[in-house]
Amino acid sequence: MNFKNVSKGFLFVLFTLTLSSFQLSKSIQKKLNKEIKSAFDTSTYILKPFLVTEEVKKSLLVKFTDSNFYSIEDNGKLIGYAFVERAPSKTAEFDYLVLLDAALIVKKAKVLIYREEYGGEIASTRWLKQFIGKSEKDSFVYKKDISAISGATISVRSMTTSVNNLMKSVAVLHQKNIL
Amino acid sequence: MKRVVLAVLMSLTTAIGFAQTNGSSNVNIAQRILDSGQNQKITIGGYAEIDYNQPEGANGNMDIHRFVLMLGYKFNDKTQFITEIEYEHVKEVYIEQAFVNYNISDNVSLRGGLMLVPMGIVNEYHEPTTFNGVERPNVDKSIIPTTWREIGVGVNGRWDDASLKYQAYILNGFISDNGGKYLGGKNGLRNGRQKGAGSVFNNANFSAKLDYYGIQGLKLGLAAYAGRTQATDYENRNDDAFAVGVKMIGLDARYINQRFSARGQFIKTYIDGAAAYNTEYSSDLGDEMQGWYVEGAYNLLSLDNAQALTGFVRYEDYDTHHAVSGITENLAFDRKDITVGLSYMIAPGTVVKADHQWFDNAVDGNLVKKQFNLGLGVWF
Repeated sequence: MNFKNVSKGFLFVLFTLTLSSFQLSKSIQKKLNKEIKSAFDTSTYILKPFLVTEEVKKSLLVKFTDSNFYSIEDNGKLIGYAFVERAPSKTAEFDYLVLLDAALIVKKAKVLIYREEYGGEIASTRWLKQFIGKSEKDSFVYKKDISAISGATISVRSMTTSVNNLMKSVAVLHQKNIL
Repeated sequence: MKRVVLAVLMSLTTAIGFAQTNGSSNVNIAQRILDSGQNQKITIGGYAEIDYNQPEGANGNMDIHRFVLMLGYKFNDKTQFITEIEYEHVKEVYIEQAFVNYNISDNVSLRGGLMLVPMGIVNEYHEPTTFNGVERPNVDKSIIPTTWREIGVGVNGRWDDASLKYQAYILNGFISDNGGKYLGGKNGLRNGRQKGAGSVFNNANFSAKLDYYGIQGLKLGLAAYAGRTQATDYENRNDDAFAVGVKMIGLDARYINQRFSARGQFIKTYIDGAAAYNTEYSSDLGDEMQGWYVEGAYNLLSLDNAQALTGFVRYEDYDTHHAVSGITENLAFDRKDITVGLSYMIAPGTVVKADHQWFDNAVDGNLVKKQFNLGLGVWF
């Protein structure tokens, strides 16, 4: 039995075990898995919930929990972070993912599940590319920095606000040397 | 008792929705009130238009043109029911939409019920805060009989990597004789709308649309519609005198780039069997109808401002007698309108509109009619 294969297997089991205790649905886990693999070009990573103290949480726009914010490590090295959350669309809610690299720059933004027929345009790969490369120093003003989509005003604003709130919260954590 | 409680709750949430339109968050007030747990099942929304139309040298008209309540209920992650109840002019009650959407997979959903026919811009996107001008474009009244909705079934979905959205439905169609009101005249097919109200069905109609949004800021739409109108009697469904063939093709585009926005639309309708129909019902339905418009708009305020003041100009050209046979072409139906105005968004979801319109037609020596409009529109 090859040690490399055993350790890979062990890490995979650990990954699955850790994820399943995260209260993320199976379909979200699967999609999260796929996006991290493709964005960071690795399959030997582990996700750890990134816990923020109650005291610090008070100063943040985003409500971090033990199942929506994770650090991503590959072979003991921190390679980035993952944020999975829900936001409102016109008559439902959609699940989205934001991946940050170790320098806290947006590596990828993805709509994981969009549940209604209006506003689904925000799931377009082309439109989501706008968020890539953004840092905590960038502003996300609707129509000015983030391009609008006709007929999808509510979901565009919702996604823009969500990413904006995340990056502002990341800025606070960074400033406090927590990230 | 339950109904009374629901009615009180609905009016309360509507009142609060009207009162609190300023918000940077997108969760509307009503949603938050009804959201009692993790899984929010009910959504309430709506829109309203209060208009003042002042034609030159005639009576002005002040009207609560439309008041629409939208209710959404999520049975589970895949199944949702959406309905829109509409009050027009404070006296007519209609259902604008009432359908179930079932998500089969990431890119396919099934839909069944009373739904909007995907043709043009405004038929699907007609909340008052989404278009310029107090009244909807006239092309969307005379050529596309907005709000055009019928009962049917179909599929819709998206391909995210291609930035494409698609819809395809089998629907009920226009009725040839709508209680003594016929197809033809200045508003084309408008009288034929059945709106899902005890509608007659003997000829299936087909509708499909593709929307492309892969170019930043641009949304392009291509729509097609085909089917025979519904005859009053089943035996006559294939008889041109009682049921004509309708084919429509529509192209639309919307563009937003920073403070500038523009839109345009081109619709062409072909009628098969108009001559026999006109003889039977003494009507003046054309063989071809055509309508298009272009509009340019510019936000006079900075994008950092939470408000927006948009100046716009729209030019419309539409004709319900673009081609006729067996009847005399009515030049009064060949129209050109210009609308110039301002839309002042005082908060996301609330807009105050003012515009001036000039109406002209191809009749020799026609005097251009003028009208001033003022309106309030809300969407929550």
